[in-house]
Amino acid sequence: MKLKYFLSGALLAIVLFLAACSGNGEEEVEAESQGEEESGEVEKDDKNLVIAQASDLVTMDPQDSLSTTGDRFFRNLNNRLFKRNPDMEIVPDLVESSENIDEETWRFKLIEGVKFHNGEDLTAEDVKFSLERVMTDDSLKEYPYFTQLKEVNVIDDYELEVVTDGPMPTIQHVLAKSGSGILPKDYVEEVGMEGFMEQPIGSGPYKFVEWKIDDKVVMERNEDYFGDEPTWDTVTIRAINEGSTRVGELLTGGVDLITDVAPNEWDRVENNEGTSLVSGESTRVMLLMNRMTEGTITADPKVREAIDLAIDQQAIVDSVLQGSGVPVRSRVPEGVHGSDPDLYDAYVHDPERAKELLEEAGYGDGFELTLTSPKGRYPMDGQVAELIAVMLGEVGIDVNLELLESGTFIEKYSNKDNEELIMIGLADGLLDASYSLVHYSIDRAAGQTDYNNEEIDQLFKEASRNLDKEERVEQFKQIQQTVAEERPHTFLYQSKVNYGVSDAIDFQPRLDENIIFDDVSVK
Amino acid sequence: MSEAAANLEQKEKKSSSSISNLSIFVKLLLKSKTGMLGLIILLIATFVAIFADLLAPYDPVEPHLSYILTPPAWQEGGTSQFILGTDNLGRDVLSRLIFGTRVSLIVGVLSVVVAGAIGLFFGVISGYFGRWVDQVMMRIVDAFLSIPSILFIMVILTVFSPSLWMLIIVIGLTTWVNYARIIRGEVLSLKEREFVKASQTIGTSHWIIIWRNLIPNVMSTFIVISTLSVATTIILEASLSFLGLGIQPPDISWGGMLNDGRDYLATHWWMGTFPGIAITVTVLGIIFLGDWLRDVLDPRL
Amino acid sequence: MKKYITKRLLEIIPVLFIITFVVFVLMYHAGDPVAMMLPDEASQEDRENMREALGLNDPFIVQYGNFLKDISTGNFGESIRYNTQALPLVIERLPASFELAGVAMLVAILISIPLGIWSANKRNTVTDLFITGGSVLGKAMPNFWLGIMLILILAVNVQIFPVSGRGTLVHLVLPAITLGTSIAAEMTRLVRSSMLDTLGQDYIRTASSKGVPYFKVVVSHAFRNTLIPVITITTLQLSIVVSGSIITESVFQWPGLGLLLVQAVNARDMAVVQAAVFIIAILVIVVNLITDLIYVLIDPRIKYS
Repeated sequence: MKLKYFLSGALLAIVLFLAACSGNGEEEVEAESQGEEESGEVEKDDKNLVIAQASDLVTMDPQDSLSTTGDRFFRNLNNRLFKRNPDMEIVPDLVESSENIDEETWRFKLIEGVKFHNGEDLTAEDVKFSLERVMTDDSLKEYPYFTQLKEVNVIDDYELEVVTDGPMPTIQHVLAKSGSGILPKDYVEEVGMEGFMEQPIGSGPYKFVEWKIDDKVVMERNEDYFGDEPTWDTVTIRAINEGSTRVGELLTGGVDLITDVAPNEWDRVENNEGTSLVSGESTRVMLLMNRMTEGTITADPKVREAIDLAIDQQAIVDSVLQGSGVPVRSRVPEGVHGSDPDLYDAYVHDPERAKELLEEAGYGDGFELTLTSPKGRYPMDGQVAELIAVMLGEVGIDVNLELLESGTFIEKYSNKDNEELIMIGLADGLLDASYSLVHYSIDRAAGQTDYNNEEIDQLFKEASRNLDKEERVEQFKQIQQTVAEERPHTFLYQSKVNYGVSDAIDFQPRLDENIIFDDVSVK
Repeated sequence: MSEAAANLEQKEKKSSSSISNLSIFVKLLLKSKTGMLGLIILLIATFVAIFADLLAPYDPVEPHLSYILTPPAWQEGGTSQFILGTDNLGRDVLSRLIFGTRVSLIVGVLSVVVAGAIGLFFGVISGYFGRWVDQVMMRIVDAFLSIPSILFIMVILTVFSPSLWMLIIVIGLTTWVNYARIIRGEVLSLKEREFVKASQTIGTSHWIIIWRNLIPNVMSTFIVISTLSVATTIILEASLSFLGLGIQPPDISWGGMLNDGRDYLATHWWMGTFPGIAITVTVLGIIFLGDWLRDVLDPRL
Repeated sequence: MKKYITKRLLEIIPVLFIITFVVFVLMYHAGDPVAMMLPDEASQEDRENMREALGLNDPFIVQYGNFLKDISTGNFGESIRYNTQALPLVIERLPASFELAGVAMLVAILISIPLGIWSANKRNTVTDLFITGGSVLGKAMPNFWLGIMLILILAVNVQIFPVSGRGTLVHLVLPAITLGTSIAAEMTRLVRSSMLDTLGQDYIRTASSKGVPYFKVVVSHAFRNTLIPVITITTLQLSIVVSGSIITESVFQWPGLGLLLVQAVNARDMAVVQAAVFIIAILVIVVNLITDLIYVLIDPRIKYS
């Protein structure tokens, strides 16, 4: 009998103990986060910025991240040779002057006196180390962008030369990417990349404090920053996956700025006193990839045209997206170098003509095709796809809708297993049309759209190596015009991104969806 | 796995009676208010599921783009065209609810059939043959039991995309262990009984014994677990929808509707509330019926 | 007794083996993690390079063999998402999950034991109907629904509790209630029937007939004897706790094992999923083993061979 009580008591004690002891370790955090929770007023009385984004970073290695969520951290931790200002113009960051010696050689002079967070000087050796790492290590996610760089030569402490494998019109674009973030050579060699990832340092305005996976990254001001004095004492980047939870945190003042506010949450953010919705452009273009492989129904240009005509892009934007997008007829997003303004804010919609075209193509009685779409990968994606299915249904195309969870979807996409149509959103990480238009080169289209146009392929190759800016833009426009007619892709809209912002701060969205902390200010 | 578990569930059962004939059964049902209520709820749901096409005022997937997010008829801004309002694509919530009944019940019932079939097989075979057969089978049961089913399903559904049939099979494949464990326990005691022993001595084949003597005797237990499992499955489907792994559009399920509506809870309550009510009421009905069945059939779980 | 324990421990080995196999087969077919690691715009060549680098092109048997060899040393491989060892990632999350689960359990116990006992004593009255109905309702309500409602009402409309995250004790309240309620729903039913069972025992009736006040009978006699099954009941809620945690942690961005799992599954981060499933399975096995052993110790009527 006694044993009975002992055992039952013991078990209960274990449960209680678990609860109690896990509660204990958190005391310190309490004091720290208190300030954030209580600042419900519209005025900001401290210099602590809290941002919540839809997913966490996955790595502390700037060259292995390749994600918007990661960029928001790295752009504030590191510096690059170049950076983009809020208007997306490429301006010098660490570079004092640059010189184009010949078609393949660039010489850069670095600003002197830039220090890493551990106090060491940032020199040409660090630049060489960082660029060579990402140029040569093909396991890094940023690697594919750097294949055109051939070598980096140090001239002296503050001068270096970058040699490319041919004319490279996008060199500055690449050097302004997160993957070009300058790592501290000595530090990395001393502690190894593992050590670096535990305590990453850069030369940027904010220093790394801690990272709790799936919870938050904390940064603090770098007193010794070489540029303008940093605005904030601390910046916390929280990860909150649930949309409604993220909005909840904003409404209660737990965070100052949230990313990815879905249309259905807009009213909540707008109607709440002290918060507003801020909408900005993104480079993400939603489109349907049409399989043109021989034997598929969408290989027929009339069918593809009919599909485009059947879809009312404006109605999609107005209804499901509540205006959070702009209909386009090109893969190159507006605002990106080489885009064609004629194809922005444009769409064709004529269901009657679509029916005629189908009749002409010999499908007057209708037919069936499969549309693959993600659900939960992009804002409202599943519902957009459902709407498209209905629109196609109205002209006699019976759509077999295949909605896939994000992971399954991207697997299908990359294996090129989809049937006639697949809906996807493509962004432009380089902000240059060459990046977007590679999809129409024969190699790249093989197996996916199977678009095969020698002329376009040739034009694209020329433009990719063309240092004449204006001619290059014309070449890109020509490609876009042809593509809009031949329709390997049916374009839907260029997405907008929506942020929820506390009225206590001033925030302007950027096209690259980055957040530069010092561009955010207290009102 | 846990003998304690089996033991406890056994304790849960009380008085004994049996179903000798139908009239007693009906009388008992009439006596139980909750049992009656459960049955009525279930009959209504079944009726709605079967005649969804006739009952639904609209095509449930048809968007009415000029009526997006219309509130229910009795609320300001509502229209009698859409009694329970419309969703964010302008689809009629009532029609979707009606068609959702069909899918939700199909998933609930069929996955229980799958789970029941596997569980019955495992339970009877392992309980009857004992020895190494039992050892092997029970280790498999243990292994399955130690991975919570939602976790299991999450992992499986990343491999196979969650179509209606896939979902039914997967839920079935991951929830059968409960049957196996309980039915095995019952078979273990049955096989010590006189009538089984007698059949064995006169040389009746094992399979005939299993078919004639064992299965009919575990049927009442089986029915009770099955009924309650339908309820669990409906909730499971809703939880999977939350994780993006439930029934996928254009198929409509209550779980899917609830999940679509969760983002609109604060602003457009009707999108998520009605499917939520539908799930709760139906599950309630099934549990009432199941509890009553257990009281009446008194299976020795 | 010793023999029984040895037997139970030995049984764990094949079980673990089956689990590794099932998990590995699933994850092997879970396909292409590479797709998740590169952006939508990446080219086929990039993908192929990465696949080769990760050893994903080896045949099944080789991969399974390597897998078994590795996990026997605690090496579940590297998380492709975080580029670090998977097991430490999983272990790191345990305190957060234990904290939530422990407190939720406490909430569940505090709700279900009094309610269960009360409704058993008031069997077939309105009170009983309400409590039973309430517990059925709690069971019928999807977990995430309750969580979102709680956030809306108690964190956003009336700003009493923080919306999400982990930190102070107040952060625990809403997630613990959410998870606790779903556990309590099931537990209340079990406590009720267990109590009914005890109340039907002879010695209780004897005590009552001897004129011991009813309240005292319930508290000092019946409850004591219900306690043991109640503890068993508590440990039996484990699978509800695990499933509930997955959902609750996602709703409240609680940085525990459940959240890690959901994200690992979405990202096809096989190593982390394997490690997490394995750790959870071991936890379940251990808790069940302990429960059974306690049962043997305290209840001599149960015989084990």
